[in-house]
Amino acid sequence: MDLSLTSEQRLLQDSVQKFISTQYSISERNNFIANDQGYDNSNWQQFADLGWLAMTFSEEFGGLGGSLVDSMIMLEEFGKGLVVEPFLSTVILFGAAVELAGSQEQKQAIIPAIIEGNLIGTFAYAEPVEPTNLSAVQTKATAEDSGFRLSGMKSLVFNAVSADKILLSARTSGGDFDADGISLFIVDPAANGLTRTDYATVDGLRASEINLEQVRVERDGLLGKTGTASKLIQGLANRGILGLAAEAIGAMEALYKSTIEYTKQRQQFDHPLADFQVLKHRMTEMFVEYNLVKSLCMKATMLETQGTADAQRNIHALKYLVGKTGRFISQNAVQLHGGMGMTEDLPIAHYFKRLLVIDAQFGNTDHHLNKFVG
Amino acid sequence: MNTEFSEDDLAFQKKVVDFIKANLPKGMEMWTKRNEWFQALKAQGGWDVPKWPVEFGGPGFTPTQRYIFDMEMARHATPPQIPFGVGMLAPILMNHGSKEQINRFMPGIRDGSVNWCQGYSEPGAGSDLANLKTKAELSEDGTYYLVNGQKIWTTLAHIAHWMFCLTRTSSSGAKQEGITFLLIPMDDPGIETRPIITLGGSHSVNEVYLTDVKVPVTNRIGEEGKGWTYAKGLLVHERTGLAGIQHSVLALEKAKANARTVKTGDGSLMDLPSFKNKVGALEAELLALEFTELRTLSQVSAGEGPGPESSILKLKGTEIQQRISELNIEAAGIYAAPWSGQPIGPDFARGATSSYLGGRATTIYGGASEVQKDVIAKNVLGLG
Ligand SMILES: Cc1cc2nc3c(=O)[nH]c(=O)nc-3n(C[C@H](O)[C@H](O)[C@H](O)COP(=O)(O)OP(=O)(O)OC[C@H]3O[C@@H](n4cnc5c(N)ncnc54)[C@H](O)[C@@H]3O)c2cc1C
Repeated sequence: MDLSLTSEQRLLQDSVQKFISTQYSISERNNFIANDQGYDNSNWQQFADLGWLAMTFSEEFGGLGGSLVDSMIMLEEFGKGLVVEPFLSTVILFGAAVELAGSQEQKQAIIPAIIEGNLIGTFAYAEPVEPTNLSAVQTKATAEDSGFRLSGMKSLVFNAVSADKILLSARTSGGDFDADGISLFIVDPAANGLTRTDYATVDGLRASEINLEQVRVERDGLLGKTGTASKLIQGLANRGILGLAAEAIGAMEALYKSTIEYTKQRQQFDHPLADFQVLKHRMTEMFVEYNLVKSLCMKATMLETQGTADAQRNIHALKYLVGKTGRFISQNAVQLHGGMGMTEDLPIAHYFKRLLVIDAQFGNTDHHLNKFVG
Repeated sequence: MNTEFSEDDLAFQKKVVDFIKANLPKGMEMWTKRNEWFQALKAQGGWDVPKWPVEFGGPGFTPTQRYIFDMEMARHATPPQIPFGVGMLAPILMNHGSKEQINRFMPGIRDGSVNWCQGYSEPGAGSDLANLKTKAELSEDGTYYLVNGQKIWTTLAHIAHWMFCLTRTSSSGAKQEGITFLLIPMDDPGIETRPIITLGGSHSVNEVYLTDVKVPVTNRIGEEGKGWTYAKGLLVHERTGLAGIQHSVLALEKAKANARTVKTGDGSLMDLPSFKNKVGALEAELLALEFTELRTLSQVSAGEGPGPESSILKLKGTEIQQRISELNIEAAGIYAAPWSGQPIGPDFARGATSSYLGGRATTIYGGASEVQKDVIAKNVLGLG
């Protein structure tokens, strides 16, 4: 077993680190999130130029044939830098879905465009009725002369505001909560009958509520076969969870490290705060818990990549730990910074909020613990 | 020991509840009719200042009555009082202020026409408050102090007319000596207030810069160099108030009601044992903390005064507040993420995230939790 990074992977890591340290200060990030789409176009073009968008796609469509691990390396660094560009939405979720289930034509039309930085995609799966239940799909897709009509609601669709294509789950048969009967469609956001309510999320990203009223989708908008998308949806959720976990790990590392730095500098009672044993222990706990998440994330990524039977259980355990430890570390980073931890001027507050949103995505701590215990 | 309310206490409770039902502003009137509410309280005979002694216009509640009063006010979510004047400065004035100062400042405090802020913390003096450096130099003719320095985290300084402020008049001897308590008008040209935006984007705290501010000696409370003693007495009161136990009882009920609206499988989130157990644990601890507060109150009525035990209430009370706000975040699920004025997701989700974010400060201000534990260890348990 070899858990170390290859030299290519180390180069990839270096290049992301360099990008963040030179171009992604908190004030630069504040500028990126200030525009309507919530990120910066020229950053996205750089991602393309640096080959980051090509990394995990197969060579047949212009990709570099890398693995999920390569994405995880990037996402961990993105987490440290609080990167807001739509990498998870476009590459990890939307792009992967097309690669995994798309027809030759769909792949040809979509993957090279993603790689060049010309296509933003996202994945709309959650519905208001029971957002954590991937099978709770009340959006209906009715077959109609060679195409479909879609009607329903989707919640918290990240990056829909800038998306060129939206991958959307809809029901072609079965009851509202059945796992069978769900299909996936690639929808044009400009389609008649599709309306969005865009909003910022607490971490500065953008999401939308999407309403579909008799939205026409042609036959070539169907991804895979009708009624059998559940397994793929779970697979995408798993990739989303792994990606978010990597990001969370980056954020947690940044938090525990900056807390150590701060408590070494800050003097109270004629001592650096780091001299007080209770704080030393707290930071040690932050470090220990961080390491557990990091380990489980590596394991779950390997199992998911290999398609092992107990991958799912490990992913539930991982998302549980990401939420729980993310909260523990972010709360204590704020606590140990005292009043300074509460200011929006320091990155601490921004990591805190990002970890809060990561917990909310794809089912929170409690949800996954319940899934894990079964 | 008697844990039952007496007939008189029950009658009092009914009187309070009837009063609230008849007078409590509803909805948006909570803001527009605040004054009428406090006037009505006053007309009851000092209910607007329930903790003040009778000679200053307070109602003269017994400790049990005060407990009942606070409980019902919290249960009915009545408009909160901004604490700085009525709750914090007034007790200091009553105990250490001159007759002139009392006559000059108490009316404005009571009717809410004068806003106060608390200028204690400084960049170098947070938990170690006695390390404060803002300098007050007595003029040669002995008529005023010249104040120079910086305060930070000053809540509502941007709308305050006055600040009660700890300053350093001497740096010889122990840090705690040489601190002087001054009342400073915020419209002095030497005062500059800069906003600090906190987690979640709100503005309530500030930096306050003081440059050559002339403060007449008549604005000094008590003796020069005794400010620490005066402020310390107040901090104990501040802590008792910060536990917010009755607010938590109410907040937990709301959290349960919220969770009942969240569909989870065939039932609601409240049917999920993992969630229900967290609610139950909080409920049990709150029951115990409520009675701990009563015990503290009965010590006060026995003339012992809230001692360092008030730290127990602050420590545990704020922890519980934070855990309740986490329940709401969990119940909000994905709808904890949206951050906008638009109605996205269930109604409760909108407030849930900002309460959670802002609530992180409760274990930092008024004595951070780690420091509270030191206070208990040292002053109650005799550990170093
Ligand atoms: C929202 C908010 C409102 C506030 N309003 C006011 C106000 O109106 N007026 C005012 O004067 N102040 C106000 N404060 C300031 C508040 O009182 C201080 O933040 C508090 O005293 C902590 O000080 P600090 O922020 O400097 O943190 P620090 O003292 O630097 O503490 C940082 C961390 O170190 C820990 N620590 C410190 N010393 C020790 C030790 N000896 N052993 C173990 N751990 C230790 C603390 O517990 C904390 O976790 C406010 C603060 C906030 C956040």
